[in-house]
Amino acid sequence: MKDRRDDLPERGARGGSSSAAVGSGEQSRATGPGRLLIAVYGVFALAATARAAFQISTKFDEAPLAYLLSAVAAVVYIVATVSLARAGSRAYIVSVVAVTIELVGVIAVGLLSILDAQAFPSETVWSAFGRGYGFVPLILPILGLAWLRRNRPERAQG
Amino acid sequence: MDPFFLVGALVCALCAVLCIGAALLRQPPNDITILSTAAVELFLIAYAVGALIRQVMGEPVLGEAWEFWGYLLTALVVPIGAFWWSILEKTRWSNFVLAAAGLTVFVMLFRMEQIWDGVAGL
Repeated sequence: MKDRRDDLPERGARGGSSSAAVGSGEQSRATGPGRLLIAVYGVFALAATARAAFQISTKFDEAPLAYLLSAVAAVVYIVATVSLARAGSRAYIVSVVAVTIELVGVIAVGLLSILDAQAFPSETVWSAFGRGYGFVPLILPILGLAWLRRNRPERAQG
Repeated sequence: MDPFFLVGALVCALCAVLCIGAALLRQPPNDITILSTAAVELFLIAYAVGALIRQVMGEPVLGEAWEFWGYLLTALVVPIGAFWWSILEKTRWSNFVLAAAGLTVFVMLFRMEQIWDGVAGL
């Protein structure tokens, strides 16, 4: 559209204290690869929320545990999306917690759904390690933690 | 196979290929990638109009109609959101964001076709 060029240096963009940062400890993680990460998290937040709402409102009695997990997954995705998009060390901590819960969740639900298929009729985002979603739910938290690690605040200030 | 689905799959694939290509070439979003995302949105509007006409003319959704329309209305928001998110920072990563929108709409279109044909439950 407009001829505003790619003014952020390709490498310096992430965590670059010179480019995007306004004050100390306020580096935005919503830059470079982080933008794609947040976009994908946003899609999953949308998908998981819609699915959980659908399941709980129409057939909660069929598999309460699985559908409650759907709702938990939806909340985790929403929190992760919002906290990843926010600058600051508090948002950073929230991101790490949310993405870690996500990783534990997808592995635990993935294992349980395979070991005890009856308790988890392939119905949640995390079932079978997210197979229904091209295993993106399994890859996403790993990329998320890697991104957070590369962009950890230099000094943890409250 | 539904011609609507074929056209939609092609448009989404074109968007994804162009945007990923531009991103790999380290291009920020440009006219081509933004227009390819707009084409996805345009297709969805045409799909919605088509679906409305087909249903009014007596070709019902075999699955849950409200689920079909829920998917469709949500899908309509995806390219717009991706466009907004991508122009806030003009790096090549924004082209990956646009590509992700194309791929997401493709998956949603696939689900919409399944619902239309009454194939699978959620």
